[in-house]
Amino acid sequence: MGDRDLALAAHLMRRAGFGASRGELETLAARPYEDVVGDLLRPERFPEVEEDLVDRYYGWDSFHGPPARWIYRMVNTRRPLQEKMSLFWHHVFATAFFKSEHVASLNRQLQMFQRVGMSDMRTILLELSRDPAMIYWLDNNENVSGEPNENYGRELLELFSMGAGNYTEDDVKMAARAFTGWTFAQPIPLYPHGHYDARFEYRPEEHDDSVKTFLGETGRFDGGDIIDIIVRQPATAAFIARHLYNFFVADEPQVPAWPIEPPRDPEAIRILVGAYLDSDGDMRTVLNAMFTSDFFKEAQFRRVKSPAELVTGVLNLVETHRTPEPGIGVYQAAVTAMGQELLNPPTVEGWHTGKEWIDGGALSERVNFAVNEVGDGSKPGIQAIVRRVSESGSELSPEEFMSVCLSLVGPLTVGDETRAALMAYAESQGPLRFHTEADEEASARRIVRMVQLIVSSMEYQFA
Amino acid sequence: MTRPYALLRAGFPYLKTVGMRRVVDFPVDVAVTRDMRVFALCRFEGLAGSAKIARVAWEDDANLGDISSTGSGEGQVTWPVQMLLDRGGNLVVSDEALHRITFITTEGEFVGMWGAHGSGDGELDRPSGIAFDADENLYVVDTMNHRVQKLTKDGRFILKWGTFGDGPGQFDMPWGIAVDELGDVYVSDWRNDRVQKFTAEGEFIFELGSSGSGDGQLDRPAGVTVDGDGDIYVADSGNDRVLLFNADGRYVEKFIGDATLSISGRAYMLANAKPLRLRDMADIEPQKRLRSPRSVRVDGEGRMFIPDYGSFRVQVYQKDAVPLSEEEIIAMPRSPTLQVT
Amino acid sequence: MAQNGHNGKDPALVIVQLSGGNDFMNTLIPYTSAVYHDSRPVVGIPADKVLPMDDQLGWHPSAAALKEMFDDGSVAVAQGIGYPNSSRSHFRAMDIWHTCEPVEVGTEGWLGRATREIDPGGENVLTAVNFGRGLPRALAVPGVPVTSVGDLENYGLMTGIGDDDQRREALDVFKQMYAPAVGTGPVMDYLARTGLDVLKGADELKKAPAMYESDVEYGDNAIAQSLRDAARVHLAGLGSRILYTSHGGYDTHANEVPTHPQLLSDLSGAISDFFADLRAHDAADNVVMLVFTEFGRRIKDNASGTDHGTGGGAFIIGDPVRGGLYSEYPSLDPSRWANGEDLEHTIDFRGVYGTLLEQWMGIDPTEIVGGHFEQILPFANGS
Repeated sequence: MGDRDLALAAHLMRRAGFGASRGELETLAARPYEDVVGDLLRPERFPEVEEDLVDRYYGWDSFHGPPARWIYRMVNTRRPLQEKMSLFWHHVFATAFFKSEHVASLNRQLQMFQRVGMSDMRTILLELSRDPAMIYWLDNNENVSGEPNENYGRELLELFSMGAGNYTEDDVKMAARAFTGWTFAQPIPLYPHGHYDARFEYRPEEHDDSVKTFLGETGRFDGGDIIDIIVRQPATAAFIARHLYNFFVADEPQVPAWPIEPPRDPEAIRILVGAYLDSDGDMRTVLNAMFTSDFFKEAQFRRVKSPAELVTGVLNLVETHRTPEPGIGVYQAAVTAMGQELLNPPTVEGWHTGKEWIDGGALSERVNFAVNEVGDGSKPGIQAIVRRVSESGSELSPEEFMSVCLSLVGPLTVGDETRAALMAYAESQGPLRFHTEADEEASARRIVRMVQLIVSSMEYQFA
Repeated sequence: MTRPYALLRAGFPYLKTVGMRRVVDFPVDVAVTRDMRVFALCRFEGLAGSAKIARVAWEDDANLGDISSTGSGEGQVTWPVQMLLDRGGNLVVSDEALHRITFITTEGEFVGMWGAHGSGDGELDRPSGIAFDADENLYVVDTMNHRVQKLTKDGRFILKWGTFGDGPGQFDMPWGIAVDELGDVYVSDWRNDRVQKFTAEGEFIFELGSSGSGDGQLDRPAGVTVDGDGDIYVADSGNDRVLLFNADGRYVEKFIGDATLSISGRAYMLANAKPLRLRDMADIEPQKRLRSPRSVRVDGEGRMFIPDYGSFRVQVYQKDAVPLSEEEIIAMPRSPTLQVT
Repeated sequence: MAQNGHNGKDPALVIVQLSGGNDFMNTLIPYTSAVYHDSRPVVGIPADKVLPMDDQLGWHPSAAALKEMFDDGSVAVAQGIGYPNSSRSHFRAMDIWHTCEPVEVGTEGWLGRATREIDPGGENVLTAVNFGRGLPRALAVPGVPVTSVGDLENYGLMTGIGDDDQRREALDVFKQMYAPAVGTGPVMDYLARTGLDVLKGADELKKAPAMYESDVEYGDNAIAQSLRDAARVHLAGLGSRILYTSHGGYDTHANEVPTHPQLLSDLSGAISDFFADLRAHDAADNVVMLVFTEFGRRIKDNASGTDHGTGGGAFIIGDPVRGGLYSEYPSLDPSRWANGEDLEHTIDFRGVYGTLLEQWMGIDPTEIVGGHFEQILPFANGS
């Protein structure tokens, strides 16, 4: 197995998951790539995260409970793509805590993404339209016959399926009317004894059952009919394809620019749209087309890591938190400080991605977080790196020292400036020796420092 | 004190609810002093940790202020699991993050602590359940070592039993523990969905429970306690209930929660017009129910205290049972019968 | 405009955010009102404990330091500050205060916009400095560099490397790695520039603790330490014009009686020490502080604390300030309560922002706060 196979496995796991330890990557790289993708697309082949453990140690349902549990799941799941697709849908169907402050319904929405996130577009949009957190977020609980509230109808078309420019204002009005009466039963309020789940409720007396014309079709449509029509639209296929491309392949401009700026790789979008239309919007089919494509394989380090990807990637590198430990809140706080407060996106448009993840404060947080985490030589993943470096020879030239570290951290490809800077550090204390115990100690410290420098590089900011 | 020969179980009615959100946050255990102050051990993690001991007056539900706080310093707790009162009236708290047992006064002053992380004799790996025997030796459930250790009150090793597994005397991440007045020991064997009973030296006597949600079945039992009648109470956390077994381990009944508003909860509601309306609009049945109880305690008056982890309160029940002598009840027949006369 | 007694120096604005919703009614107390005492049997402050200002209002006894500054004439109170249809959600309410967008969800912060006005080219990464972790949305505008300082003593990159020489060595490597390169594309260029900006900001900020000497002993609490950091940065003369910090814990639903006095005591002590420190360094004449919170609390207590309400109060503090009461204290007459249970606001917060931007910072507030709002006149040589 060469570094190329390893690099491809690492790439796949960074994108379709949350990174992986070196040991896991070696196992994956030894298998045919298509089989690995096949496993990712069939999460049911693998056990779920041990819910009883999560509940015993992270069972609280304050606002910080669900996001903390989610980070634990991201790092420990044996169904990484299921979890990554949940993050994808959270990003596309961005619903935030700040409006409702209702933990139970946000938790339920997240579980819904985990459950149906890899099914088909119709199921996903139907579940979304029946989701109490979403209904409240976009005011569909206020959408009643005779006094329609268009918020959900509009965002369903503009942000969740077709994208601006592919429908008329009349279509928005008709969609809104079709979703009248889709609401939720009043849950027991937070005080004095905590949140209770909200349940979807359909109220026929609030539903506008009149004949509607939507995207050229006419009938006595309700919300389900509208979704049936939406998911057949090529515009929906193209919109979701572009979202998938932006999330999994390479950074695109921000969503509001999409009606104006063409995709950076129209051929890739064409392939994804084809897979969508041929399979009636089956996500596994589209994901399979994407992960096995050349455009995906060639897109290594073409996206800026989201904060969640950066933090979970580092955790997978240092191999801690494999079982619940105190302090998971530190990681949640780190993701937040880097600009991505999970379950609390800034607006319905979600987070701005790509280079907009980065500003001075966010970059400081990213660099300092990673440097601190890998700086603890007692962490299992760091011990493993030190061991592997020492096993590659009793004396390594500075060039070998740097290269083997770059490989173990990624494998990471770096530009000339970074390489020269790392090389200068590697050379500053001569060859890396493991002849004596004193050598080993000094070399371990140099390896840890080298890893710290690598994770602070520009290149490490990319997935 | 001797056990009654048998009981006429007249009832076990719900008595009252204590505490509310922001006062009793995620209670994992409860202890009640003689002067009827209710201490609730609270554990969750915000962005920083948020463990503490809340204090509430039994009579009027007044908030008496918190003691202890999150951290690893003296008297602080990080991942507290269980809490007892010792004979001196101090609180004893197990902490599975710090692998130690902490002693503090009921005013929160630090008294002492012991515990070292490890798997050797006297060392602990995530201590959870704790219970005193009649000599104030402390039984500690050593969760990740899958064993029970008996130590003196100041932490010196006496004996241990248990290994990982699902056979008699084996454990899979055990949690709660209780000692009855005869010195026998009950351990809730969390991942094996059962409670095992042992002699004081760890000799296996019997087990009760099996995996499931049916009557008498358990889903990840947490705390366990025993009253003076020998009745065994199990916090069946995964099934959101508490089960009662008799001294022989036979299932008797279950408690799924009957909460009414606590005094503080009532005052809160009456000062808040919006929640009043929302509650009025809601189906309130679920609010009665227990959510993931992690412990259960009884006092000498037959009161049962259930820290209602997911609902920020303690639910209290009152046992009503008449002790029977051997003369008052016929001997146990060989088989059930349909005929009364 | 803009010459309000800052002696030719650039005016600086310090913002103190009280997070969680400060109980304004228990800060500036209508102690002679029967409605007040009737509504607050548990958290109400007895009239004889209040530090009277006049025959209607008095300060909370724990805010003695603030009262002293008020008596000296350097505290202006914007009573009844708020906005229509006040949100009771912490997050949403704070967003509204940060973005001046009470209807739509806004993403640009008002102080970020102000920073862009002050330093359009983003020349000084220390024009706006936040003391605390992460960036409050008030300071966030894409493309406007703002520095966020968690710990001034240990600010910058590679802070986890304890040894000074080794950290310097690591920072040298970092500098080389982030050196501008040709032909790597706009994203890499941007990252490189951002990385070097952070280094530059850290180098500048390092001067602040080194230069600082003071006889003022701040309290050992979070807000005191944050304001001490703010003082150190201001005194270092690094061109910082907006200094931001937060004081948390004001969400006093329960246990208000022990909690709130401690908060007020820490806060007033910290503010008093901050200005004493600046005065001792002859550097108080160009600094004005705004203390705000996302909402006030409910008129009636809930037997342990108070719940989210409206009608808060803000303080504008500093030597250039003409102290006193501004706008009106919200009516306590139950027939005039908002939502039947809240204090009705009497001045829009955007007017108070406008006051500070226009009359103190010399910046046109119209675009920043999204319109024209009634201002107050809290400056000595008011315009």
